[in-house]
Formats: sequence, C-alpha cells, structure tokens
Amino acid sequence: MLRYAIRRLLISIPTLLAISFIVFALLDLAPSDPTANLPLTIPPEVREKIRLSLGLGEPFPIRYLKWLQQFLINEPLAVFEQLTGLSIGDSENRLRVLSWATRSPVTDLIVERMPQTLWVVGMSYVVAVLIAVPIGVISAYRQYSIFDQVGTLISMLGFSIPTFFTGLLLIVIFSVWLGWLPSIYDTTHVVNDWESFLFQVRQMIMPTMVLALANASQISRFMRASMLDNLNQDYVRTARAKGVRERTVVLLHVLRNSLIPVVTVIALGVPTIFGGAIVTEQIFRVNGIGALLITGIESNDIPLVQTLTFIFAILIVLFNLIADLLYGVLDPRIRYE
Amino acid sequence: MTNKRRFLAAASALAMLAGPAVAERGADGELKIIYWQAPSTMNPFLSGGTKEVEAASMVIEPLARYSNTGDIVPALAAEIPTVENGGVSEDLKSITWKLKTDVMWSDGTPFTAEDAIFTWKYCTDPNGGCAQTTYFEGVSAMEAIDAHTLKISFTEPKPFPYTALVGSESPIIQAKQFADCMGAKAPECTEQNFNPIGTGPFKVVEFRANDVITLEANPHYRDPAKPAFAKVTFKGGGDAESAARSVLQTGEFDYAWNLQISPEVLTEMESAGKGKVVVAFATSVERIHVNFTNPDSALGPDDRSVFKADGSNPHPILSDIRVRKALSKAIDPVVLTEIGYGKTGKPTCNVLPGPDIYASTANEACKTQNLDEAKALLDEAGWVPGSDGVRVKDGRRLSFLYQTSTNAVRQEFQAIIKEWWSQIGVETELRNISASVFFGGDPNSPDTFQKFYADLEMYTNNFSGVDPEAYMANWLCDKAPTPATQWQGENINRYCNPEYDALAAEFAKTAGLEARAEIAKKMNDILMQDYVMFPLVHRGGTSAHANSLEGVLINDWDSELWNIADWRRAK
Amino acid sequence: MPLDAGKTDTLVSVRGLSMHFPIYAGVFRRQVGVIKAVDEVSFDIARGETLGVVGESGCGKSTTGRATIRLYKPTAGSVVIDGKDIALLEGGELRRLRPQMQMIFQDPQASLNPRMTVGSIIAEPLDEHRPDLKRAERQDRVRDLLDRVGMNPDFANRYPHEFSGGQRQRIGIARALALEPKFIVCDEPIAALDVSIQAQVVNLLEDLQDQLGLTYMFISHDLSMVRHIADRVAVMYLGRIVELAHRDILYEAPKHPYTKALLSAVPTVEKRAQERIILKGDVPSPANPPSGCVFRTRCPVAEARCAAEIPALRKLSDGRQAACHFAE
Repeated sequence: MLRYAIRRLLISIPTLLAISFIVFALLDLAPSDPTANLPLTIPPEVREKIRLSLGLGEPFPIRYLKWLQQFLINEPLAVFEQLTGLSIGDSENRLRVLSWATRSPVTDLIVERMPQTLWVVGMSYVVAVLIAVPIGVISAYRQYSIFDQVGTLISMLGFSIPTFFTGLLLIVIFSVWLGWLPSIYDTTHVVNDWESFLFQVRQMIMPTMVLALANASQISRFMRASMLDNLNQDYVRTARAKGVRERTVVLLHVLRNSLIPVVTVIALGVPTIFGGAIVTEQIFRVNGIGALLITGIESNDIPLVQTLTFIFAILIVLFNLIADLLYGVLDPRIRYE
Repeated sequence: MTNKRRFLAAASALAMLAGPAVAERGADGELKIIYWQAPSTMNPFLSGGTKEVEAASMVIEPLARYSNTGDIVPALAAEIPTVENGGVSEDLKSITWKLKTDVMWSDGTPFTAEDAIFTWKYCTDPNGGCAQTTYFEGVSAMEAIDAHTLKISFTEPKPFPYTALVGSESPIIQAKQFADCMGAKAPECTEQNFNPIGTGPFKVVEFRANDVITLEANPHYRDPAKPAFAKVTFKGGGDAESAARSVLQTGEFDYAWNLQISPEVLTEMESAGKGKVVVAFATSVERIHVNFTNPDSALGPDDRSVFKADGSNPHPILSDIRVRKALSKAIDPVVLTEIGYGKTGKPTCNVLPGPDIYASTANEACKTQNLDEAKALLDEAGWVPGSDGVRVKDGRRLSFLYQTSTNAVRQEFQAIIKEWWSQIGVETELRNISASVFFGGDPNSPDTFQKFYADLEMYTNNFSGVDPEAYMANWLCDKAPTPATQWQGENINRYCNPEYDALAAEFAKTAGLEARAEIAKKMNDILMQDYVMFPLVHRGGTSAHANSLEGVLINDWDSELWNIADWRRAK
Repeated sequence: MPLDAGKTDTLVSVRGLSMHFPIYAGVFRRQVGVIKAVDEVSFDIARGETLGVVGESGCGKSTTGRATIRLYKPTAGSVVIDGKDIALLEGGELRRLRPQMQMIFQDPQASLNPRMTVGSIIAEPLDEHRPDLKRAERQDRVRDLLDRVGMNPDFANRYPHEFSGGQRQRIGIARALALEPKFIVCDEPIAALDVSIQAQVVNLLEDLQDQLGLTYMFISHDLSMVRHIADRVAVMYLGRIVELAHRDILYEAPKHPYTKALLSAVPTVEKRAQERIILKGDVPSPANPPSGCVFRTRCPVAEARCAAEIPALRKLSDGRQAACHFAE
C-alpha cells in the first residue's frame, strides 16, 4: 500500500507539471488586461506603466519559470518560515507570487480566506453527509414508501434548484421578513465565549444549509442506490438466516458494504470544499476561497487565478489518490501492489 | 466585545462631563459600510479603482478636495491658494499651499510639506506603476518653503493648478512609512499598502484584501470631537442588489455604495422604511458615439476605422450631418432615462453636464423626440424608403452596426433605439461585447471601444475632479486612436474640427473660472450641434444610508466618504 | 429408512405452503397481480432424513426452501419444525428459533459478506445467540468448525475473496453448522462449483449428516446428485409438487408424466436417444398459470378433464404421492 502510494505520488509529479503549464498558459494567453477595470479617466500611458510594473514586459517562458519557482520553492519556504519563525536563506529578497490587484502574496490571501471557507463550506459538507447517509439508508430500506418518495422529491429539488435561488429565498424569509438571521457573514467575528459562538452559528446557518441541501441530495442518492444494490445481495440473506437482528443486518452488513462507493464519492468531493462555493459565498458574502477566485477572475488578477487553479488541481490529484487508497482500506478485495 | 463596551462607557462618561452640547470622538459606536466591490488595497496609487480610492479616503487625505457641490475645499491645506490671495503666481507657473500646522499622522508624528513632496516622488517614479500620474503632469518641482508651506512649480502656465495632491485620487502618504517602497519596491510593501498611516479621521486596524476592513477612530485626528464613530467596519463583496437590501431592508448596514440596480427594485426596497436612497450627479454621461471614419470590414487593418489627417477615410453615411441629426432626433432621452435609471439619472443634451457653471443650456431641443423631422432630414439627404421600409441611396442601405458592452440596461436601450430608428427607415444591427473585452484595451482585440469597428457605440464616460480641460481635449484631431498609437487615444469618434482644436488651445491658456466656463460651454456646443455623439443620460452616483445615519452629503465629484468625519448617529 | 415420514419421527411438516409475490405496474405502482412462486405445497421430512427437491429453474424449489426456514413470510400454509409452527412468527421470536434451522446457499461468493473475515462470519451467529460463550471459547468453536469442514483453522483471519469456490462453500457450511442446527436447507449448494469439487462437498455434507444427525432439504436441478444423496425426492413443476417418492422407486419407475420427461433427460450410459421424451412448448408464466393441472399444456397424455380439475397429490399403492389424474 505504501509503495503503491509513493508510486502514485511520483507519477502525479509530471501530471501536475503538465497541468501547471496548461493552467499558466491558458490564463496567460487569454485576452485579459489587469488595467481593464480601472476608470476610463486613467490614460493609456499610465496603464502601460502599470502593466510593466506587474512584470508583463517579460517573455512568456521566463514568466512561467519564474512563477513555477515562486510557487514551488519560494511560497512553501515562506509559509514554513511564517509557521516556525525560522528564516532560511535570503528570505527578505525572495520573490513571492504577488496578486496584481492587491500586490500582496497570493498565499497570504488564501491563508486569510481559508478559515471561513472551511467553517462554512466544510461544515456544510459534514452536515450534508450527516443528513444524506441516514436518508439514503432509510429510503433504500423502505423503497417506494412515503419516506422514500418525499426524500426523492426533496433530493430532486435540492439537486435542481440552484443555490443562488435557495440562498436568496432564505435571505428574504429569515433576514428580510423575520429578521432572525444576518444576511451578511462577518468574517472578522471571533468566537471566544458562548454568546459569540451562538452568533457564529446564526451567521453560518443559512449558507451552510443552502450548500448542505445541494450536497446532501447528491450523496443521499448515491447512498440509496448503493444500499439498494447491497440489500438484495446473498450475504444479506445469509445474515438474516444467521438470525442476526435486523438493525445489525442493515447497519453492519448492508451499510458497511454500501459505504464503500459513497466514501469514494465523498472523498472526491473534498477538493470542492477548498474550492469554496463561489455562488453561495457571493450571496452571503462569506468571502472565502470561492469569492477570492471570482474577484480574481473579474479583476484579471492572473497570478491569483493561476495559483488558485493550480492548488485545486493538486488537491484533486491528491484526493483521487486518497479515494483510491481509502477504497483499498475499506474493501478487503482490493489490494494495491 | 468587553473592551469595546468599556471604551464606550468611558466615552459616554467623558461626554457627560463635557456637557451634552459637545459631540465626543467615538461616542456613536460602530459604523458599518458595505461596498459590493471590495477594495483590494488601501494604496490608491497602486490601484486607481474607485473602491480603493474611496476606502483609502477615510485614512489618507489630500491638500484639498471637492465638496458635494463641486467646490474645492481645504483638507490638509489651511486655505485654497488663488491668484487673488497670492497663492498662485501671476504667470500661472506655480502654486504655493499653506498647510495646516496642527496635523498629526495617526502614529503621532507631525505632518509636514516633506510628506507631500515624497508623495510626488513616489508616484512619479518611472518603475512604480503609479495609477495617478496624470495628477502630477506638468509638475516640474515641489519644494518646502518651510515645514508647512509647499510650493509646486509647473513647466508651463497652468490655468487650473489644483491637480497635484488635490482630490481623493492623489492623497498624501507618510514619507517615513513609504521610504523603502519607491519604484519597483512599491508592490512588495504589502504591510504599508494595506495599513497606510494617515491623517484622516480613521486608521486601519485590520485590512483583509477584497473582504473587510476594520478601522478605528484616529486618536491624533485634528478635530478632537471627531469622528463620531469609534469604529468602522467596511465590508466588501457580493452584488449591488444585496448590498442595497442590507441597508434598506434588513438594516444590517449603515451605508451602501454604488447601487446600480433597476430603479423599481430600489424604490421598492426603500419603501421598507429603514433607509433612504441618495443620488449625486457629477459628470458621467451615457452617450452614443458616432464613428467619423469608415469601419467597413472589407478594409485592411491600416484603414478600417482609421483616421486620416487628409480626410480620405470618412464614414460613407455618417459623415453627412443630416443623417447624424436625424438619428439624434429619433431618440427620446427622457423615456430612456425613466426606463433605465429612474431617479438615479437625468436626461441630458450635453457631454459636459457639470459642474453647473460649465453646463450649457443651448442644446435642450435634443430632449424632444421628433420622428417627422428626422424623416424629413433623411429625405433631404437623399435617402428614400426602399421596398422593405429601410431607406436606400445609390444602392446602399441605411444600415448601422451599433455596439456596446454587455449590460442589461444597455441592451434594453439598444432594443428601444433600434425600434425608434426603424420607424424612420434606419436598419440597425445590434452587438454587445463583454465589458472586460470592450473596455479591456487589448490592441489585438477587434472588439475594444477604442478600435470602434462599428458605426455607433454606446458607453458612459466622465472625468474626475471638477476641471474639464483634459476631458474636452479628448476630441482633438491628433487624439484619434490609430494602429500607429497601438489604438490608444481618447478621440474615440475620430472627430476632427480645426475650430474645436483652436478653442481647446485657448482653453489651455485661459485663467479665471468664468472665462474658462465660457470656452468649455462653447466646445460642448460644437460637439452637440455637430452631432458628434448623442448624449442620453446624465448618470448619478447612487448610494443608500440608514435613516439613523446623519451627516451624509453624497458626492460624485470626490470620494463619497469625503466628509465621513462629520457622520454621526441620529439621536 | 422410513418410507412414510408422516408416521415416523417427523422433524419438518409443511402443509399448504403458498408463496405469492405481488406484481406492481404503472405510474402509481398499483398491484396488478401475483406470481404464484409456490402454491399449496405439503410435505414432511423425518429426523435424519434427506429430502431432495428437483425441478427446472423457476419451478419454485428455492422459494419453497427459503419459505420453509422462514427467510420469506409465506402467503399461506403452516410450517411446523420440531413441533412448533413458525409460519407466522415475527422478529425476536423467530430469531430465537434460527439456531435450529440453517441454510447453505448456492453462490458461496455472494453469500459471504466480502468485508468480514471468515472467522467473524462464522462467529457472528454465536455472538448473536450464544452470549454465554467467552471470547476464547468462541474462537475455539470457529477453529473447530473450520477443522470439521476440512479447512485449516488458521484461515479464520482471511477474507472470503482469498479462497476458491469449493473452500468458500466449506466456509458457508461451517457457518451454517455454527449453531448446531437440526435442519439445514441446502439450496443448490454445488451448482456453482466445478464438477471435481462437487463430489467433495456432497461427501462432506453426508459425513456431517452421519456425525451430527442432521436433517437436510437438498434442493438441486442435478438429478444424479439428488439420487446419490436423497432418501426421498420431491419433483416440482410451476410452484407445485407433482410427485413425491422414495428415491429408488422414483428413479426406477416415475409415475407423473413430468417426472418421466425429466428423468428421460438425464444422460446415462444405458439410455438411447429415442427414449427421451421431448416436452413441447415453454413453461407457462407463474403469474398466469393454466387452469386445472398446471402441466396440462405440455403433457403428452392431457385430456379435457385436466383443464377443469386440479389433480390432488394422491397417495398411490406403492406409497408414493403423485398429482396426476392418470397415475396408478
């Protein structure tokens, strides 16, 4: 297993390098201008100077290699130094990946955005799994029952109604009409006592539930299908013939086997947590990674978008590997050599 | 939480000692502002975007700024220098600013003329990529006569000398803080760019790029009674509509900026009674530009939409003033304004709608639509209705390509105008281009507004500050974008009129507000009466504030937060 | 060996057992009919006896087996095992009786939970029904069972996929034996195995029966194997028993026309091709069985009476039972 993991990691290096080149090249060659969003009152000569100061004067290969060096060597070193307080080499003059719009290191921006994304999007994923698994299990166990029909209906709704609609609906109901929940997320809020914790919960409820509904619909459908597959398996009949309690039959035999594909789906979905939820973050102003990406795109902040996209690529490759390994752990029939 | 309460308690105790009549700094607690486009930095020299400029205006200040009426009022300067009070030299080649002597930076050190001089050097460093260099154009030197007297010299006589270090787009930064951030080092000074030390009413506590800025009252602010708020939370992100909702409907925020949303929605939100919508008008005008050169796609890149000084490449149809006039006559700006902007816009017939002394009244006829007159003009020009209703002349159809950026209101305008024009026998092909491409300025893209590969195009332009000299110089013959200038140049219309050029030259030499206004109006009238463009809507800046917030004087000439030191909570 | 189980020491007594599955169709999934998988089946099995059940696939023999040990809840009828009618029992009451009756399944691969070790598969019924056993005792029991079915006891920590088909079936048998049942339904236990392995498994079953005094219901479509292992044989067709007789007389002289046809299809050395009875047509749908005798549509001797009258399972002179108007 370990050898397999190491081999897979080694194989992913050229893959990621290729991705990094494609990401960089695509974004770099796409027509975009970092000064496009400036007021028309700023004259073209000044715009040209701004572009030069952003390093756009250099040829493409040089810029790519510089970015790669900054991303792969300078940024990890900088993060390491910030974490440990040590300084390695010439840390003062080390060039980092700078965002064009904010002129600050991209990694710092990402680190700043990470907490709210993990709180809201991560929590919504946890909630989604917690809701989806029981619903999927019950729906499958009582196939075609009222519960299953209602569950199917809600899943379809959650699946097909976009989050910008459910988000706005919740805001209109709970913020505008009832005035119970804040419609704008306070990213500077610090949880240090019971009262502030309650406020954190209140401001998280709406974005979390909107996202959880969308995610849960998908996972519960997977769970249901997988349960249905396993419920009709012979070993379930064997377990019943053994005189095992029905709860044990469902939870131990059927659920454990049904979870294998579902866990894979869940693991593969984890990178999307880090990607944030662009729409939902915008609606509730959670201003996490998703909002960072979209403002980066809107302001043609190419280094920011390149770096974020590449980080997502790394996470996707990584979690694909994790999903594969997890599969091996969960299913004794699969052995990696 | 508890610290804040203690502070508030202390503040209110002080207020009671001082007596109820005198306002106390920080007595009104927290002010919550929402800008749906979040500031990416607090250094306006590195960004140039309106959102960054406005956020920074709470912290760093210029020598003087523009009030809500468009007047120049002192900020860090003690008074406004003029020729009359001797502040501006007779030859118009220098201006001497007397600075306030009691101003401290928020770190407690005194503000001097050296900081102003440093700011000039900082922004004009060729490697710095400063976005506001136009403010320092023509400045040959700055010197400190004494610690609180600043003399700015110009290379040529400057009839309007209030550019450098005037207005929120060219504020003064602290020399000590930015000393190591000159030139190429400028973008790497993240700490300084995010947390500039300023003289303004607030200072940055925490800056989160594109998200939220936390500020607190500047303890060294020159007026001990101000600001009334102890803390400002400046939140960004999302969209205009939900920003409006958070002030007008849920009351979570006190002030929301730039609410470009449909007028009905805004009116409905306002009816919730939690806040009010305020509009300020400056110089933004939505207009349709006429292309005076031939945009025929059959032409090569060196000819298509390229202005030739010998006049050899005129627009085959639109070079006839009767056609331009007919198109203008068929448009009803009043209806368009009502549909697209409601109370956040006013119909206009001027490209230079303000300040008031510059606004011409000679062109009001454009507000009245007259289809019959338009038809008569086209008949007179020899365009006769063809079998399908579209006019023809010499086998050519009266057909135009009309482009603009992608935007719901603009597409609505396009559709309405197309309908009006079809009533007078003009065929219109509509096109819309993503704003980032249209305004993107990429010389390789065929779709930029500068290239103007169309007959007509619509967008909004304005000028910052209150002096229209540079703006009115946009329509000089030699400012036409051409391949030779990488399609840079402000004369988007490729309009060329020697009479106009002569007026512009005179404008550059004339001092005195009245005289300057006279010339500006004349230039405006030439553009209007020659139908170089069809102005449609004078657009205002729209914001909303909570009913409990007092002291807001919305201002489209400068930062909307220009007088935030005076904002207070209604008692 | 007893010829008539009813009069000796009967362990299993099934009367009028019916197993009908509803059919749903349409948008609203309304019930539109039933599949009569098993219809009015009655038989007895004596202690220590092996009853073979044969028939084509789909004839209801597996369903009969499953309903007999209550893996299905029968639509009608009674199932008395060791003096207790279990046909209507539910939940805990039924579960407590599980140790008495066990089943060995056709597909040893699918019937073993892939995520459990062999040891835990075998131990699970012990955990459930023998809480008195200590951990070590339970482990000993698992090792003992593996040993008894001819497997290395050290295999307890392995997973089912690591074994061959024959080994897995041995695990399945060990699992069924864990609770020391009296009655085991063997549902096609050798159908999924290689021919070379089949004999080993059958021999193991026979050995275990001798050692432990087990009672088997042996369901198979392999007529020769049934002849080898069974004491008495029931022949099923379309959910009904058409003939039930001692092995020897059934194979020697079948009385029901279907049994005759079925046995004629068994390849033996002495038989020649012309003796084979070829049945016409297909098996009718159990959702819509023929009136009267279900076999009449394919029966070479059918008459008008067969369509009108359902033939009862009559006892013939030689002690066997047959459901044919003309059997003598």
